[in-house]
Amino acid sequence: MTELNEQLQRLTIKLVYYGPALSGKTTNLTRLHDMLAPQLKGEMMTLETEGDRTLFFDLLPIGITAPSGLLIKFKLFTVPGQVIHDGTRKAVLSRADGVMFVADAQTNQIYNNGASFDNLISNAGMVGMDLSTLPLVVQFNKCDLPDILSKEEIMSRWSQAPWPVFFASALAGEGVLESFTALLGAVYQNLDKQFNFERQHGLNRDAFISAVKG
Amino acid sequence: MESNQFDRDITLEELLRGISSIKLRSALDQSLGASWSLRDRTGQILLHSASSHEDALNASGVPLEVELEMIGQLHATCSNERRLSTASWLELLLTAAHRYCMVADLHSEVVFTNYAELQREHLALQESERRYHTLADQLEKRVAEQVGVIERSQRQLYQAEKLASVGSLAAGMAHEINNPIGFIRSNLCSATNNFNSMQQVLTAFHSDSKLEAERIWVSSNLDFILEDFPVLLAESVTGADRIARIVANLKDYANIDHAETGPIDLNDSIRTVMNLVGDQSSSDVELRADLQPLPLIVCDRGRFNQVLLSLLQNALQALNGKGIIKVSSEVNGLQMEIAVCDNGCGMDTETLARIFDPFFTLRDVGKGTGLGLTVSQEIITAFGGHIKVESELGTGSTFTVCLPLSMSS
Repeated sequence: MTELNEQLQRLTIKLVYYGPALSGKTTNLTRLHDMLAPQLKGEMMTLETEGDRTLFFDLLPIGITAPSGLLIKFKLFTVPGQVIHDGTRKAVLSRADGVMFVADAQTNQIYNNGASFDNLISNAGMVGMDLSTLPLVVQFNKCDLPDILSKEEIMSRWSQAPWPVFFASALAGEGVLESFTALLGAVYQNLDKQFNFERQHGLNRDAFISAVKG
Repeated sequence: MESNQFDRDITLEELLRGISSIKLRSALDQSLGASWSLRDRTGQILLHSASSHEDALNASGVPLEVELEMIGQLHATCSNERRLSTASWLELLLTAAHRYCMVADLHSEVVFTNYAELQREHLALQESERRYHTLADQLEKRVAEQVGVIERSQRQLYQAEKLASVGSLAAGMAHEINNPIGFIRSNLCSATNNFNSMQQVLTAFHSDSKLEAERIWVSSNLDFILEDFPVLLAESVTGADRIARIVANLKDYANIDHAETGPIDLNDSIRTVMNLVGDQSSSDVELRADLQPLPLIVCDRGRFNQVLLSLLQNALQALNGKGIIKVSSEVNGLQMEIAVCDNGCGMDTETLARIFDPFFTLRDVGKGTGLGLTVSQEIITAFGGHIKVESELGTGSTFTVCLPLSMSS
């Protein structure tokens, strides 16, 4: 959406955590809520059914202020991973400024990962997002579990893809911040291109990232 | 749709829309115990206490924050502590309202998208159904055209079969007529020569040269001529009669002298066709008729003749120049039966199974169309009857035409 409201001096950035069911998207957000210390941090809004399945979305709002006085609001969403919620997933994905694809590293989840990624590609096309410019980071979660794909195997599979790949164990908080930082960096590049960010608002890439991390 | 994106930044006014203003006012009255007003980001008053809210105009305010941002302010003439505590539960209420608002908007966004997609699919389905109908129509037209072509070809083939049987009939007739014409002509030539001799004798006798007349009489062998002359003429008359009979049979067969419709005796038809076939069959073929009286029936005589001719020609073919053909007619129960029985070569079961198939023929190429029995069966079926066949290899065949008595007039 990258909505710049000149009047209110406010910029809104939408980031979406996408991926197959139970891959740990909500856990990622929960960990970010704990680990990030930006200037502004809202409460996490979760809409879960019984059994911890996301029904509509989770939302974590955070915000920083640029030296120019511009309020930069981040809205971090998760999509529902279950296949049946495709309509909701598409609606949550639309207008996203960056996507974190959270895959499940367990060997028995290869098919679900692939299907979900295909679903991301097709939905992104349907809501009019350009994949060649969309900031996208891939995170293989649950790396602390036994019976997972080896990092070498995953890297060899994704070596042809243009997107950076990270390994995480969201429950333990490992890899969550690193992958999020990579996504922020890619998002910043787009912002700078679109709004001449560094010059206009006095915020360079590193400052932008560290302001979010706090 | 644009204005209702679920993830948009929401205003205080929108959030208050989902909350009962009466209940909220009374709750704020109680909580604050003073004059108060709720203002949006720009300072515009959205809700205020019932009594003298003008007092609250200049009262101090506290910001109301939802999702990190100040979306409005609560002004009240009470203590700051009371304002803050009221603002905190109000924020809680507004956050819950925001949460509800987002979900509701997301839901309608999804429903709208799904509905739009359904409509698109529906349109696509309608379009494909329309194409299907067009195709089906075209297909029907093409089938009708093809059926027309097939029917035309079939009529042409049946016509060809009729012409072929008429052709072979004509060939036989030509031969039969040629014979008497041959000897009539030869007799007339002899008679002409004889007449010349008689003329000379009579001329000499008339000019009183009796000796000359006597000489010519002897040299011309006039004794023999006088004996032979009436024989020549009698033979010629017989030949002419034979031709007349053949032509009469042919006319009979072709139904020239009969009315198109009207009740007919099938036995007459049988005799006509037998005569016709008898004219052209060899002398070693014996045609026997055993015809019992039949009721008059209304039917197309020409077509019945065509069937009988076909059966008799087949029988002749089976005899190969020698044998007996018996044609019988009788009333048997509720039907008339006309049987053509030959003691010719007969057929094996394999041939028997195929004789009514179109284009199946045992004759040499060019001698038969293979449609004779096919057409015969169709004609008899159209009359409401059927054709039975019995045959044994080396013994002969019997074809029986069965016609319902209900045809009789």
